[in-house]
Amino acid sequence: MVLELRNAKKTFGEGNTLVEAMKETNFLVERGELVAVIGPSGSGKSTFLTVAGALQTPSEGEVIINGKELSQLNEKQRSKIRLQEIGFILQASNLVPFLTVDQQLELLNKVKKDNMTKDEQRKLYEDLGITKLRKNYPSDLSGGERQRVAIAKALFSKPAILLADEPTASLDSDRAFEVMELLRNETKSNQTATIVVTHDIRLIQYVDKVYKMTDGVLKLESSAEMALDSTE
Amino acid sequence: MFLAWSEIKKNKLRFLLITSILLLVSFLVFFLSGLANGLASMNREAIDSWKVDAVLLTEESDKSLYESALDRKIADELDAKETAVISQMGAIANNGDTKQNVMLFGIDREEFIKPEVSEGDPTFYVQNGVVASDVLKDEGFKIGDTLELSSTDTKLTIVGFTEKARFNASPILYMKLNDMQKIKYGDAYTMNKDLVNAIVIRDKDWATLSLPDNTEIIETETFIESLPGYTEQNLTLTYMIYFLFVISAAIVAIFLYVLTVQKISMFGLMKAQGISSAYLARSVIAQTFILALIGVVLAFGLTLLAGSFLPNGVPIMFDIPTMIIYGVVLIVVAILGAVISVWTIIRIDPLEAIGG
Repeated sequence: MVLELRNAKKTFGEGNTLVEAMKETNFLVERGELVAVIGPSGSGKSTFLTVAGALQTPSEGEVIINGKELSQLNEKQRSKIRLQEIGFILQASNLVPFLTVDQQLELLNKVKKDNMTKDEQRKLYEDLGITKLRKNYPSDLSGGERQRVAIAKALFSKPAILLADEPTASLDSDRAFEVMELLRNETKSNQTATIVVTHDIRLIQYVDKVYKMTDGVLKLESSAEMALDSTE
Repeated sequence: MFLAWSEIKKNKLRFLLITSILLLVSFLVFFLSGLANGLASMNREAIDSWKVDAVLLTEESDKSLYESALDRKIADELDAKETAVISQMGAIANNGDTKQNVMLFGIDREEFIKPEVSEGDPTFYVQNGVVASDVLKDEGFKIGDTLELSSTDTKLTIVGFTEKARFNASPILYMKLNDMQKIKYGDAYTMNKDLVNAIVIRDKDWATLSLPDNTEIIETETFIESLPGYTEQNLTLTYMIYFLFVISAAIVAIFLYVLTVQKISMFGLMKAQGISSAYLARSVIAQTFILALIGVVLAFGLTLLAGSFLPNGVPIMFDIPTMIIYGVVLIVVAILGAVISVWTIIRIDPLEAIGG
């Protein structure tokens, strides 16, 4: 198990203004598994993502990443966990505008050890079809290319968990499917635990499990039996 | 440094503007420091060249050389290592072509403040011969010139020139004490020939000397600071320089803050990915250091270049160690200006960047 939420709950405010953005949630994802979390806007998907991504701690319950329980950690410690264990692919391109594709990855080498080797990086570029874009700045790239570079950046640090927030939002259908195919391949080949948060149900054909978030309640949808088996 | 330098390389124009402003402020600081130094030197270079520790004046003169009158015999009674007497008067010297405000200094040729002559005869052998400040050469004065003085019929002859001979912004004419006293006192010469304005002293232990009544001994620096207008002029220029330090810090702070605010979402995303605030803060500091260093170094060169084209009449004198200190201060205050940006980065919540 790589990421587990045990009875995790996130509330904001107190008394009459108390809002339960994420109700009591149990969630589990293993290495090599691609999971989708779907749901309409305002259903609590983003809250789930930020709790699972160690950007905030749950109000109750536990979040365990690679055996480390996050609830008691401060922002500095959680920041380290994010750097070491999690790769983010965000809706807004998470590329630094003044760095070339190569430099985006070089930046990670400056702040973290044990990233991909040069050979692994070359193969990653080939897999993602961005070898020719190495010297380009984000402003020189199309939406699809930027998203592929963002995936490269997220995978370069060899994260245990890949969190993708609406990774296909700015792409047309062909590009969106292409990105999902890439995520699936990388999840399997790198044995990453990948969680895709999306409202696009067409993408669920690529995933192993689908969770649906409705009004803060996260519920396993299509592959319920499989999910139950893996937790036992 | 990687992030800082990469951004500078990508956004050259943006950072060129910031560096240009830092360059101009630094240029102004260096130029003003040269001007302050030059103006100070006009007032004090003669005194500095004597290398004296203290000056003896009358108590009632209130540290003014012009108002002090002492018996020169006091110098013999003082138990100081070395002493020299000075009799002084101001005058307008006219060589027939040019009139120039000068300071006549009557000195004893046997005493240590006798000027080193850079050009001409060092002996003052001619009666009423003077060794003049070499700045008079720029005004058209030359060796052999006969000088008429505004306050007397006596004529002086320039027998030599000496460097570093200005006092209170006037060029000095050094002459024999006796010749000077005759000009100064005229018919009253016999009665006043032993009256001098000051006795300058070379003795580290000057403070322990026993003094005659109605006299006071003051440290050389205090004497210089008491010269008319000297302290006021220095303070004015020094305060201008200090204000420029504050202004440069404010400029850097404003520019960097605007740049930082524009990049808040980017910093937020980087923090969400686990890049620490400390790394991002170091990057902003490094960027400021690079920009300030480039601005200061270019301003340093530009100031020296501009200085070499200025006419001799501009009282500017660059003191390299002082300029280096000011340069370092400029870089430090620029970095202090980056503190607001650093604080902004520390306060960025990665959750907001990710839309949580």
